Amino acid sequence: MKKYELKLNRRNFLKNSAMLGVSTIAPGVFFQELAYGRALDEPASSKIRWGMLINTNQCTDECDACVTACNEEHGIEDFGRPTTDTQWIRKITLTEELSKKSISVPMMCQHCENPPCVDVCPTGASFIRDDGIVLVNKHTCIGCRYCMMSCPYKARSFVHENLENQLPHAPRGKGCVESCNLCVHKIDNGENNTACAEACQKDGHQAILFGDLNDEESDISKQLKKYATKEVRSDLGLNTAVRYRGI
Amino acid sequence: MYKRISLKILVTFSLVFFSGASITHENMQHNIDKSSGEKCVEPTDVMRAQHHIFLNQQSHDTVVKGIRTKKYSLNNCINCHIKPLADGTYPSVKSEEHFCSGCHIAAAAQVECFDCHASKPFNKVVKKVGVLEK
Amino acid sequence: MRDKTEYMVVEFSKAILLYGIVALSLIGLGLFSFITLEHEGHWLTGMNNQVVWGLPHVFAIFLIIAASGILNIASISSVFNIKIYKPLGRLSALLAICLLTGGLIVLVLDLGRPDRLVVAMTTFNFKSIFAWNIFLYSGFMAVIAIYLWMMFEARYNKFVGKVGAFAFAWRVTLTTGTGSIFAFLVAKEAYGALSAPLFIALSLLMGTAIFYKILFWMDRGLGVPLGAEIISRFRKLLIYFIFTVLYITVLAHLTSLYITKNHDFEFFLLFSENIYTFLFWVGQIGLGTIIPLVILYNKKLSKSALGILLASILVILGGFIMLYIIIISGQAYPLDLFPGYNESSTFYDGAISAYTPSIYEVMLGLGGVGISAAIYIFAIMVLDFTPKNLGDEYTLGKEYKEKLIQNED
Repeated sequence: MKKYELKLNRRNFLKNSAMLGVSTIAPGVFFQELAYGRALDEPASSKIRWGMLINTNQCTDECDACVTACNEEHGIEDFGRPTTDTQWIRKITLTEELSKKSISVPMMCQHCENPPCVDVCPTGASFIRDDGIVLVNKHTCIGCRYCMMSCPYKARSFVHENLENQLPHAPRGKGCVESCNLCVHKIDNGENNTACAEACQKDGHQAILFGDLNDEESDISKQLKKYATKEVRSDLGLNTAVRYRGI
Repeated sequence: MYKRISLKILVTFSLVFFSGASITHENMQHNIDKSSGEKCVEPTDVMRAQHHIFLNQQSHDTVVKGIRTKKYSLNNCINCHIKPLADGTYPSVKSEEHFCSGCHIAAAAQVECFDCHASKPFNKVVKKVGVLEK
Repeated sequence: MRDKTEYMVVEFSKAILLYGIVALSLIGLGLFSFITLEHEGHWLTGMNNQVVWGLPHVFAIFLIIAASGILNIASISSVFNIKIYKPLGRLSALLAICLLTGGLIVLVLDLGRPDRLVVAMTTFNFKSIFAWNIFLYSGFMAVIAIYLWMMFEARYNKFVGKVGAFAFAWRVTLTTGTGSIFAFLVAKEAYGALSAPLFIALSLLMGTAIFYKILFWMDRGLGVPLGAEIISRFRKLLIYFIFTVLYITVLAHLTSLYITKNHDFEFFLLFSENIYTFLFWVGQIGLGTIIPLVILYNKKLSKSALGILLASILVILGGFIMLYIIIISGQAYPLDLFPGYNESSTFYDGAISAYTPSIYEVMLGLGGVGISAAIYIFAIMVLDFTPKNLGDEYTLGKEYKEKLIQNED
């Protein structure tokens, strides 16, 4: 309970300071700057919790724009070995057992608030950043794969091959475990969107919405309030940052 | 018996240590193009002695805290220090012509960085690693 | 109480040579596999993004729990003070070190980044049972080292009981820690809290069976006579532990069957047409439980050293298969992300994942066995671990004479 109160206070504080900014200096643009436009030397803040809302009603079975965009953004190659090839985001086709209704769902790391992968990691390489992004610190990952055993979403891949020509903003290498990082490099550079969400918007599906779950004014918070949404495997009590509509 | 073994170990260690210390950068030919700037982010002797400390600190700050300052970033190093060879291609990290590998191969100190990180500049126009910007 | 057993340093012989060659060639295979995997990456193994732990882990966990179980013989002698096992105390502790080292090396060499072992030894996340296990394993080594010291130094023999009790507690914790690796997987139906006691029971069984194999080899290869009394004791131990493992296995499956959401997995494991069902019924139950029990209760075979050896080998095989089933089948069985829906994807959601161990994994695992064997052979050639005689007249002492008299009557 106490933790919740604290959050509210912090939020109020943010709001108040923003109001002050708005009323005294500048128009609404400034508010955006204050909340998200983090300077390069400023660490990620726990005032923000990044998340995604995926509207499966807008998602189609044939489209894999999000998957392609993710692979391109992070330089994920296909070695033609499907069992060992890396997949950060994948499309799952769901068929309702009774009605045979088919739904297509993008699935990736759910960025839990209480991630099992972080609990089991022996070296602490698997960690949760202050703004809620679950990451692998590849400088300390020893490649034991215990996190992959523990992940309820099968979100992680192990790099089974020698990699070359990695992208400067997406370091990846053989022997480490990796998964969706919510395009952390884009967030740190102030773009505040992910490659998959951008691709989905570009294709006109608008199925993936990215935003700050802690900010009541953000689109994602408003939609979460308005529509019935679902947390995958909510029975595990992990409080995921990726939520789904239409399942 | 034990004395002899420990003596051997001592000799081996000191040999490795002193020979390591005798490797300097003085007579190394580096293929640096000065056009990208006059100076490195720190004086040369500081960089020679402490670049790994800066890089380690930066890697922690970036991965754990999300700080992305340019000064000590590895990409910044690569963009300045890795210059194309005569035939227009970038040197491989496995060859001594690569700025980092030049010394690291000579000193037999393994670099872990490029197991994961890009060792060549990135062409933002073509969106490919190791392709020259034209 | 002083240990009056006579020990010897084993001298070089044909048997040692043969044993050494086998051990070194296994190590060679393991090294070859390690270097290849380190160079090429794990795609050469059968392990993949669905079945992330494979045969190397089966080997590693097998050796680690056997290490804990093999120390049981020393525990029986020094903690429960049963004299006949006293001459086996040193060997028991030595074998525990050998097996643990072999197992840990396999575990480390299978890491994606084995070069970062230092990171694993210096950076800890204490919420992880893995991090705790690093302490449990290294601490176990230290405890056994002290235990051995107390056993070797006649002046300190009086402390053996206390150190032994501590080692006993430590090894139970260690096996619990190893079993708990699987108990803490929130999303997998296959694993529950019962895996810890199951691992303890299995460790006792594996340790006893492997120890018997060594004793048999000492008798035939090194010329250390093995008395009928020790053979009959090992027979009884094997029977007890087979039944304990069987009991916990049955208990685990019955509990799991009671829970409706686990029915699908239990059906998959026990009654469907796949390799795990076959391995379970034919391997674990048939070869590893029923046939050994038949041998151990057979009038003729149960009294022969060879018969018990056969039972031991089958039991080891069965235990290995059991670990294989526990580790692999739980991963091969799909996670249910969306209950009420059928799932399919390019990442094998909703499908039973295939796993075929590659030759590299077999070699890596055998390398670990080779390392265990090599340490053992080296140690018995430099220090007096090996008792000179395990015949009844030595191990029984006074009782032996009484028995002789009884027989004459």
